Amino acid sequence: CATTVPRAPLPPAEREAAVARQASREEALAQQPDWNLQGRVALSNGQRGGSGRIDWRQDGAAFQVALSAPITRQSWRIEGDAGSARLQGLDGGPRSGPDAARLLREATGWDIPVQALASWVRGARAARGGPAQLQFSADGRLAGLQQDGWTLDYGDWRPSAVPGLELPMRISAQRDSARVRLVVDEWSGDGASP
Amino acid sequence: RDDLSAFTKGLKGLDGQFSQQVYDANGKLKETSSGRVALAAPRLFRWEYAKPYEQLIVADGKRVWVYDPDLEQVTRRPQGAEEQNSPLAALIDPSRLDRDYLITEDGSADGLEWLALKPRKGDEAGFQSARLGFGQQGLATMQVVDALGQKTRITFTGWQRNPAFSATTFKFTPPKGVDVVGEG
Repeated sequence: CATTVPRAPLPPAEREAAVARQASREEALAQQPDWNLQGRVALSNGQRGGSGRIDWRQDGAAFQVALSAPITRQSWRIEGDAGSARLQGLDGGPRSGPDAARLLREATGWDIPVQALASWVRGARAARGGPAQLQFSADGRLAGLQQDGWTLDYGDWRPSAVPGLELPMRISAQRDSARVRLVVDEWSGDGASP
Repeated sequence: RDDLSAFTKGLKGLDGQFSQQVYDANGKLKETSSGRVALAAPRLFRWEYAKPYEQLIVADGKRVWVYDPDLEQVTRRPQGAEEQNSPLAALIDPSRLDRDYLITEDGSADGLEWLALKPRKGDEAGFQSARLGFGQQGLATMQVVDALGQKTRITFTGWQRNPAFSATTFKFTPPKGVDVVGEG
């Protein structure tokens, strides 16, 4: 992203402190299971691409992600929880299935790990994901995270409504040629900005 | 109906300001944005969103370009069927309005005379209904309700009819260092 802080590897002591801070950050986020973000997202996989407004509401494991196109704001929405998903508004009519990521791939060809992204967008490792690597910027904030083959980059951290808990306003996620770029305009809900 | 014909008679181009409000299916205001819109025959348009953030959408007759500076991405797609998604684009070519939409009188409200537009190819259009509101200066408001019940209202002011557009108004060249994705 445009606002990346230099990411020189931290000296061991500082790195340990940053890793510990990340762990407590993830605990604090776990106490805020209901949140909402509004912003803009750009998707691309090398050839195909798209951009639009995104409205993501998360209530524990339940999620509702709405994307709307420029100008007419023609929108489509995927909603569900850990075990079910429903996709509406795309050509071909509503679809449902047990897994949101598979539903999205079948309908759009996009490979978007919806469940893991719910943790990643707030700067946390996905609990059910595989082992993750973390990088911190010179100011000790989380700058990068790799998990399940995806590379996340974070920037423009801002205070949230919860004292001491910051949230990223710029997030990008990349795996092979698939890339998701997200600019958050507003976090709301208890884990969000004032 | 005569407001529509009066407005579109001899209309080759339009340039004005717009303000857009988007309401979710429960009527909650979700977005307010504004900027400039320019249209020209046969199918050229330019939407310059200025607030709350910049976004540029240009249709040059062959392709539609969407440039999001904050996202550092340009998306490009062939200009084609999507035009049905924006009744506004069809305004410049009234014959296409009748071909693409079923147009019926929809009474007067908020000081405007309204027309309802139903897409003839229902499934493709991507919106349930659209309404155009006409006042003294011609088209004042466009309202679109999409398949999920989300309502977009765009109000227009300061229309200039058939202005002399600069050569680059409906052209787009991606800035250096910005990813360009999409086909066409």
